[in-house]
This record gives sequence, structure tokens and C-alpha cells, in this order.
Amino acid sequence: MNIKHTYLFFLGLILLSSFSMLQETEIPSEIKLITTTTNFEAGNTIILKFSTSETVKPFLYCTNSYGTVLIEPTLKNSFLWYQVPNTISNKRGVIYWELNGTSLTGKLTVKPIQKVATMETYVGPPSIEAGGKDYSMLIIIPTDSLDNPLAEKTLVTTKYQFLNQQKEKPIHIKNLITYKNLYSPLKSGRILVSSECLDENSKEFTVIVYPANPSDFKITAERHHLYADGNQITTFYSSIIKDAYNNIVSDGTFVNFFIRNKKGNILKTSGTTIKGIATSKMIHPDYKTTWSVKAYVEGMAESNTIVIDYKQVLKDFEVDFSKNNRLITIGPLKSFMKQIIPDGLEVRLFVYKNNVLLNSEIKTSYNGFVDFKLNTAAYKKDTYTIKIIIAGLEKEFKTKTLW
Amino acid sequence: MVGLNRNIIRSILIASYIMIIATIIAGISALFSYLNTGADRSTMLHTEIAKEILYTPNIKWTPLLNEGRLMDVENLKNLERDYLNAWYVKHIANKTNTTIGIEDYYTDHARQNLYEIIAINKKQQTTIDATTLEHQPTLDFFSEDGQLAVITDTNIEYKRILKDNKLITETTEQATYKIVFLLEDGFWRIRHLVKENSKRHIVNKKSIATDSLHIKGINYYPKDTPWDMFGNSFNKDIISNDFKIIKEAGLNAVRIFIQYEDFGKATVKNDKLIKLQQTLDAATTNNLKVVLTLFDFYGNYSVLDWTLNQQHATTIITAVKGHDALLAWDIKNEPNLDFKTRGKKIVIAWLDNMITLVKSIDSKHPVTIGWSNTESASILKDKVDFISFHYYEDLFNLSTSVEKLRKEIPNKPLVMQEFGISSYSGFWKPFGSSKEDQANYHKKAQELIEANNLQFMSWTLYDFGKVPKSVVGSLPWRKNPQKKFGFITKDGKKKPSFKFITNSK
Repeated sequence: MNIKHTYLFFLGLILLSSFSMLQETEIPSEIKLITTTTNFEAGNTIILKFSTSETVKPFLYCTNSYGTVLIEPTLKNSFLWYQVPNTISNKRGVIYWELNGTSLTGKLTVKPIQKVATMETYVGPPSIEAGGKDYSMLIIIPTDSLDNPLAEKTLVTTKYQFLNQQKEKPIHIKNLITYKNLYSPLKSGRILVSSECLDENSKEFTVIVYPANPSDFKITAERHHLYADGNQITTFYSSIIKDAYNNIVSDGTFVNFFIRNKKGNILKTSGTTIKGIATSKMIHPDYKTTWSVKAYVEGMAESNTIVIDYKQVLKDFEVDFSKNNRLITIGPLKSFMKQIIPDGLEVRLFVYKNNVLLNSEIKTSYNGFVDFKLNTAAYKKDTYTIKIIIAGLEKEFKTKTLW
Repeated sequence: MVGLNRNIIRSILIASYIMIIATIIAGISALFSYLNTGADRSTMLHTEIAKEILYTPNIKWTPLLNEGRLMDVENLKNLERDYLNAWYVKHIANKTNTTIGIEDYYTDHARQNLYEIIAINKKQQTTIDATTLEHQPTLDFFSEDGQLAVITDTNIEYKRILKDNKLITETTEQATYKIVFLLEDGFWRIRHLVKENSKRHIVNKKSIATDSLHIKGINYYPKDTPWDMFGNSFNKDIISNDFKIIKEAGLNAVRIFIQYEDFGKATVKNDKLIKLQQTLDAATTNNLKVVLTLFDFYGNYSVLDWTLNQQHATTIITAVKGHDALLAWDIKNEPNLDFKTRGKKIVIAWLDNMITLVKSIDSKHPVTIGWSNTESASILKDKVDFISFHYYEDLFNLSTSVEKLRKEIPNKPLVMQEFGISSYSGFWKPFGSSKEDQANYHKKAQELIEANNLQFMSWTLYDFGKVPKSVVGSLPWRKNPQKKFGFITKDGKKKPSFKFITNSK
């Protein structure tokens, strides 16, 4: 009898302990969800209420767009209350929850507040090219006061102004954003855009329409006289450079002028445009030649070729040998009106011995004269050939004896 | 006498003077050379690419049909990199409840939301250990100026929620997000994040038929390179020759180990794959089937490591899943030995996830786990296709253990995947077994295998000359017996046990 009791006692104990073990791991399914609302507006307090017959307080696992939290309940009158933290209930999107230790799960949807607080706007690129091919994009993300993007299909009106054209276009939010392509007009200038959503207006945004690539243009040259005096300046002008849509190209467009002379040498000068016109200067040559000039906007446009002739400025010059032929005086050098040529004309002297060039010297004119001194240290007493070149004119003195 | 004394003093003075000067000069020069060390000049321009692969969830973009500007490969790559980094820093932040790195990948406004949640969790001592396993993003929109993008991503995320370092719950969820990115300072940063849907991710269980499975096999390492099969001294002729011996002994399968680090972790080395292919080819030639054991010597299991493990497994499985010689995938060798150090739940969660991954890539070959004993063998029994256990205990209890296991798992084949006995008897273990004892052991084992209708893979073909420390440690009384488990000696002589390598010819 006693043994039987003991046996029963132990059996009961085992049963009891296994039951209590069960309790620890599994919460009885007597917990039921009472809250039926599953749609909330952002910012509203979300409280999930469960009825329970137990005193167990399981965690509510709760996850939304940005993260996961565990919520501890308050137990009052056999109800479990779970308040979702504001951080979670403020954000648009789905909240998924599971009641820990039970099979209860659910999904709540938080909707954005349908009232615009900010018109988050992105415009880019900020500048485009005239002509109707290039475009910029206006992207608007209307957000509510809790920084949630507004609901899909919400109407957004974009507003557009260019010169005397003013347009509005309704678009709808899709994939959290709205966007509109702003194609360039044919004229250059500034496009102003803004947008409106639920009576809330955005700031003004600007897209600059720059002229398109320049098209081919013409050039002209201006000079004070036609003579190759190596002193005056020839100025080159471009015509007003325009793009294909008749917009004057942006100020500062860089134009290169290439000058090719008779010898095939190339001179280069450049200028930038102001109001479409590029100006550039080049000093006259100092000998008779012909320039052909062509201008380029690198890689985009080119001009016609113009030809300019320069006349010989110096008809002849006199050379005087003195002081044992060691002092050579050249001049007076006279210009086209017989006036003394302006200072600085280049005079070159070559000294040969038996057809071998011994030395050459360059000097510039001063008051119409140039002196060369052939000193005894460099030129021993002997017979030399002396050549002088001025403005393309050449004079040669054979077998000059230096004493 | 006086003069001598003075000379001694003098020389001592001079010597000490020289020594002091030498010490000072040595000190100064040491200081000088220390000050001259420092950054290598080549690092001045930060041209070195110090990039470690940390996060590699499976990501597959749906074909690009986005609105706005046409997306190019380079931009998409950057967007993908920054998006995954955004997840990675978020995982780290949630795991540690710190905010490091968040500001690189979330804009000013967006990061506030993360900070607030981290603050709540920090206060409540909640930590979330999570990783995404799979992403399927669709590019919805890319702006003309290339500064704004919108994607919709459906991903699978595994989470462990801990409070006061105690696991509260673990969950795998499938969620769809809409995300607006802005390109700021060269980073694609998340501006808006909206979860559109979320549900528990349930994997469809697909079991693979194992009716045709009749494993009579052996665990294999080449005799000169045990635990280093795919190293520099890999030789396919040796392996082929060994396979021939195995086949001629009447066996039909081998078990081979793929070491996680040896194969290159997340980025699997190509030469290793080639060697693996050659090994499988050798098995085909000799009409043998191969059980491939993955993740050998891997022991981290940490949730943030999972994506790297996945990439490792994906590469290997994709490479050889079509091979004729492949018989089955063994996810991990003796994972239950890591329960104590790593936590039972995390190891099981890891295995569970890995089985799902392997099955998602290879739907043809069965999957098993090489448990080290019969007690653990019923873990994840519904997920594996056949049960593998190792048995190094007394053969006397084998039938009982198997019977118990059969009761728990009546419908799946049982494979005794490792068993054997060392024939070592020497200084370190004077009363060890002899070669005859080993033969008797295998004779008895084969009888029990037949009686219990088990499939088997014995340990192992050869005695080994050296056993690496990582296998059984460095203690000689553990290391030396481990060398003598083979049916064939180091010199290639068949031991008496070779007769009982299988029960039928």
C-alpha cells in the first residue's frame, strides 16, 4: 500500500514537472488579439491589445522599414497592452509583428499623413543645351511632417515657365517619387519650374538653357595700312557666332585664328567671344607676304578663309663702310612715304669667308639707322663677303677687305 | 706603483667615457631610425585597395527596364555595393547598438530613424543579430543627372533577437522594400525606405529520393597529404590509384572533405575547384561515387558570416553539381562538437539555412550532416535526406543506439559515416589495439552493419605519417593513435583488417 502511494506520488511529481516544463517553453494559446484595426496613419499611437487568462507577459516582436524592437506589455484586467514606439508608428510602411512564444502574428499598415510638409525637389542637370534634344529632370518627393513620402498616385502639378510660355502638367506619384522631363526649347535662356501638391507649393527652381554648339561663321580683318612694316597691328573679327537655332553662343567661346604665310609658316592667335564676336590681333609682318587666315571653335565650327596681302615697305637702303671697312652704317631706312621707318625694324648681317658663314648679327633700327662694328679680334685683316637683309631685301658685298 | 695605478684609473675613465658615448649614440640613432619609420611612401596617394569581402548575400537584379536614364554597369555596381553596405552597417549597428558607419549609407534624415531604434534597443538591452540572405532588386527609376535612384527589393532576412544576451526569438522574413537613394559624396545613400510587405519566409521542403542509396564507402585522404588533399602536392594519379584500390576492395563510395579556408572562404580559388573536378573525374573513372563534406574546419557560424558561407557553398556546388561522380552533400563534419563553444541554437540555425541553400542550388543530390554521435543525429531530421552519424564507441552498444535512432527516424536511410579503430599500441598508449584487434573490430562492425541494415563509410584507407594539430590537437597520446586508423599501412601493406573493409564482394 505504502509502496503504491510512493509510486503514485512520484508519478504525479514527474507529470507535474513535465507540465511545468511545458509551460516554460510554450505560452498557452489562450492569448487572443483584440485589436482589429490594421491601418493607421503615421503619427497615431498604435496599441495592440490581447486578452489573456494567464499572467505570462510575452514580448511582442515588431519590425518596420527601419528596424526591429521588442515591446514589453502592460498587463491589466487580463488584457495585454502593447504600445508600439513612436519611432515605429511614425514611419510609413508595413509593421510585422509576432507575439513571442505563440503562433500569433500580424501585419499593420502605416499610411503617410496626406498633407505635404516638404516638397523635396531635385532638379538636374542644372543646365541644358537649346534645341529640344537635351533635357533636365524635375524630381519631386512630397513628404509629410514625419518625413514619409506621400502615398502612391497622389496628384502633383508641375509648373513651367519659359519666355512667354507658361504650362502646368499633372503627374502622379509612382515609386515614391514624381518626375518630369524638361526638354530644352530652341531658344537659350532660363526655364523656371515649381510644383504643387495638395495645395502646397514648392520653391522656384531654375534650369539654364545654354546655346547649342556654334555653327560655321565668317571672319574679317582690319588694318591701318597695307604695308608690311612689322609695327602696325591687324585685327581679326569673327561674325556673330550662332548655334543652329540662331542663339548667340555663350560669351567666352574660344576661337583660334590660324594664319599661314607664303613660306608655309603658321601663326596662331586667339580670342574669346563677347556677344558672339571674337576679336584677335596680330602684328604686321616686316616683309612682303600674303596671309591666309582661318578661324576655328575647336571641334565644333570653322570660318571661311580670308587672304591678306602685305606690301613691301622698304624700297631700297644705303650701306656705308668706314673706319677700315669695319664700321657698317645702314640707313637712313625710309618707309612708304619716305618717312623714317619706326624704330625696331630688324636688320640682319651675315659675314662669309670663302662661302662659309662665319657669323651673323641681328640689330633693330633706331632713328632709321643701324650700325655694325666688325672688331679686329673677331675678324682678322682679310677679305670677307658681307650680306645684309632688311625687310626681305638683300644686299651682298663681295670681297670686302677689312683692315 | 703609483704610476701604474694612475694608468689603470686613466684607462678605466677612457673606457667608461667611450662606453657612455657609444650608448648615447646608439640611443640617438635608435630614436632617429624610429622617427624615420612610418608610413610607406607608396601609401601616400591611397592607391592601395584595402578591401575585404565582408558581406555577400545572393543578389540578383531583375532585367533593367527602369524609367529615366539608361542604367550602366558601372553605376549599377556602385549602387549595389553601397546598398549592400547599407545593410551591413545596419546589421552591425543593430548587433552592437552603436551607430558607426550608418552615416555613410543613410542620409541625414533617414539615419535619424535608425538612431532612434538603436536608442530604444540599447535602453532595453535588446540586440538584433541579423543578415540578409538573398536580394532581388528591381531598378524602378534612375534620374537623368545620375544622382537619384529608386529600387524595389524583395529580400530574405534572418534575425536573432536577444535580450540581455538571451535569445528571445529567431525569424526568417521575406520583405519588400521601396528605397530612394541619393548620390552624396560619392556614396549612394538611402533617403527613403518603405517596407511594402513582410511575411515569414517558409521554405518548401523538397526531399530527394534516397531509395537508390547503397553506400558502402570509406573516408578518404591520400596517405602523404592527410587533411591537405587539395594542397600543393595534389596528385591526381595517386588519388586515381587509391580509388582503384577502394573499388577493387568492393566499395562504391568515398567521402572527401572540402576545407573552408583552404578553398578560399567566400571567394573560392579556381585552382582548388579544378583539383576537385579532377578528383571527381578520377572517381568516375573508377566507378566510385563521392560524398562531399563542405565547411571542414569552419567554426564561426556567426550570423554576419552567413553570406560569406553562402557564397563559398554556391560557388562549389554550382561548379560540380552536374558531375556524375557526385553522390551527396554533407553540410558539415561533426557540427555538434561546436554546440558547447558556439551555442547549439546558432549552429542548428546555420545548418538549417545551409541545407536550404544547398537544396536551392542543387535539387538532385541528397543532403546530410555528419553528426559525431547517434544522439545528435535526429537534429534537423526532417531537413536532411538521409541521416549520417559517426560511431567510435563500443560496438557492443551499436545495435541499441541504431534501434533508438530508427524509432525516431523510421523513414530515412541511416549511414554510419565514420567508424574505425586505431591499431596503435606503443609508448603513448601501451594497451592499445593491435592490428589483429583492428581486424576483429571491422569484422564485427560489418556483421552489425548487415544485421542493422546500415550503410557505411569507414575511417580510413591509409595510416598517416603526420596528423595536423587542428585535427586532434598536439598531445602525442592523441595524435599517434590517430595515425593508425588505416586499412593499409604507410608503406602500402594491407593490414589484416583490409579483409573486412566490406561485408560482400
